[in-house]
Amino acid sequence: MAENWRGECSNPNAKTLVPGKQDDSSKKNKKKKETGSQFEFCTVCNLNHDQGQRHKYFPSHKKSLSACLSRFESKLADVRFFLRNPAALRPEHASRNRFWCIFCDVDVEELGSSFACSNAINHLSSVDHLKSLKHFMWKYGGGMDRLDSFRILDADVTKWRKKCATLKKEAALSEDRCHGPLSGLSNDIHREPNIGIVDHFEDNYTVYPLKSSILNGVTPLQYNTNEQQILYPEIAGGPNAGSLPTKLVSSNASLHSADDSNGVEGNVHSGAAPPWLDSSEHSLVDYNIKSFSVNVASHSNKLEKSRKLNPKRVGAAWAEKRKIEMELEKRGEIAKKECDSGWLPNFGRVWQSGSRKESRREFEMEKQTLLKKETESEISKEIQPYISKRIVSSHQPFVMLGGVKL
Amino acid sequence: MSYVLTTLTKKREVDSVIRDTIDKVLVLRFGRASDAECMQLDDILAKSAREVSKFATVALVDIDSEDVQVYVKYFDITLTPSSVFFFNAHHMKMDCGTADHTKWIGAFRRKQDFIDVVEANYRGAMKGKLIVNCPLPPERIPRYQLLYKDM
Repeated sequence: MAENWRGECSNPNAKTLVPGKQDDSSKKNKKKKETGSQFEFCTVCNLNHDQGQRHKYFPSHKKSLSACLSRFESKLADVRFFLRNPAALRPEHASRNRFWCIFCDVDVEELGSSFACSNAINHLSSVDHLKSLKHFMWKYGGGMDRLDSFRILDADVTKWRKKCATLKKEAALSEDRCHGPLSGLSNDIHREPNIGIVDHFEDNYTVYPLKSSILNGVTPLQYNTNEQQILYPEIAGGPNAGSLPTKLVSSNASLHSADDSNGVEGNVHSGAAPPWLDSSEHSLVDYNIKSFSVNVASHSNKLEKSRKLNPKRVGAAWAEKRKIEMELEKRGEIAKKECDSGWLPNFGRVWQSGSRKESRREFEMEKQTLLKKETESEISKEIQPYISKRIVSSHQPFVMLGGVKL
Repeated sequence: MSYVLTTLTKKREVDSVIRDTIDKVLVLRFGRASDAECMQLDDILAKSAREVSKFATVALVDIDSEDVQVYVKYFDITLTPSSVFFFNAHHMKMDCGTADHTKWIGAFRRKQDFIDVVEANYRGAMKGKLIVNCPLPPERIPRYQLLYKDM
């Protein structure tokens, strides 16, 4: 039984194995095989298709591609902003600043970087990214002339690195200034990080976890309070007076001054607020303003637009006029107009065809004809007693037969 | 007589209500407060007036008052109670599947029906439409026969 079954199966298999050798109807099958036999996945349109190379020229694909690319470009706009204005990256913000590179199919995270979007910038300028970008454009028909808008050029990257370096120098200098006099008094633990920063300074720009922890202003309580308090105000004044443009330095200065004031006013034992709370709000606000300024602006615009009433609504022009009139009446500039006793609202009558102005005209005409009729009928309306012919003819004082004319 | 809603007896008052209601639907009920169906309608209006107060105003007009007869004729009010809808002093028509699109004749079955009707009017008006479709199913729309013109 089983063998029979196998035998039957083998025949149909034999037929399909040789498609080309059958009649003309198989030509269509042949064509199908040649043009689109295998299903491919298009990441842009997010669908499987068997159209092969033709798919990238279809209008639906082109639409989705342009949408995709414009979305990526808008994400890049943020990165480019930080390319032009490098700012320090706090570890708490690092988790927010990752983005997905659609060309490389990789998630670019900002875990170890000290500057905003530095990992992203490095990725976008890398050779691998360029390769995958070219491949993507070829595969999905993006247009090779737009390559530069999706990557960062080397010249820009070098400029950015220089700016980062200067930022770091300034930060380190201010650190040194602040921490310099301490070195004699404080423990060796604090010396080490300072030295570490100075050494690594020229070499690489990426990982500074120690520095970031100091930047947060979480200074351990190993200092002698007296001498530091005397020294700090001078030093804190210094960077401020120098008017260094970077937010990094100013926040440092504010940190230290807060530190210092708290040392004077209160501490853990007196229950004062810890210094990092006050200062972190400051720096958070600054950072937020910078990175989310664009988003906030667009959002507020949207809110404003939704509060405005639709100008196409019914009677919009009339409403605006009336509002102005009422405002003026309130203020007392215009005396309250008693509206015309003949005023009628815009009304479309039941049996009316045509515009509503016509309905009003019709009504006015009807009114006038009615009035005329009424006046006419009033004139003629005198109640006369009914006099029957018999009475008239016989001249006898009979009882009247009819009633009064209504 | 509804104590919650304002009753208007003069043309001047009706005019001022129409002109002063800006960017809100105005519902004018024409009827006699003593009539049973009118009382039912008034009840529904009074109960839902507050709920629609953000986008609608409700007012009652007494048909029997002489001053208002102009409006009774202008709006072709023959069957009571009739409710006429306005938005920014423009009359809103509503197609309920009945012969008369210019007003709503009869009472509402439930509060929600009234609220739905007013909402449909408001939405249409905000989009700039002078005639809207009735959101209620036909079984909840009161039926009546409209006599022909000049009869």
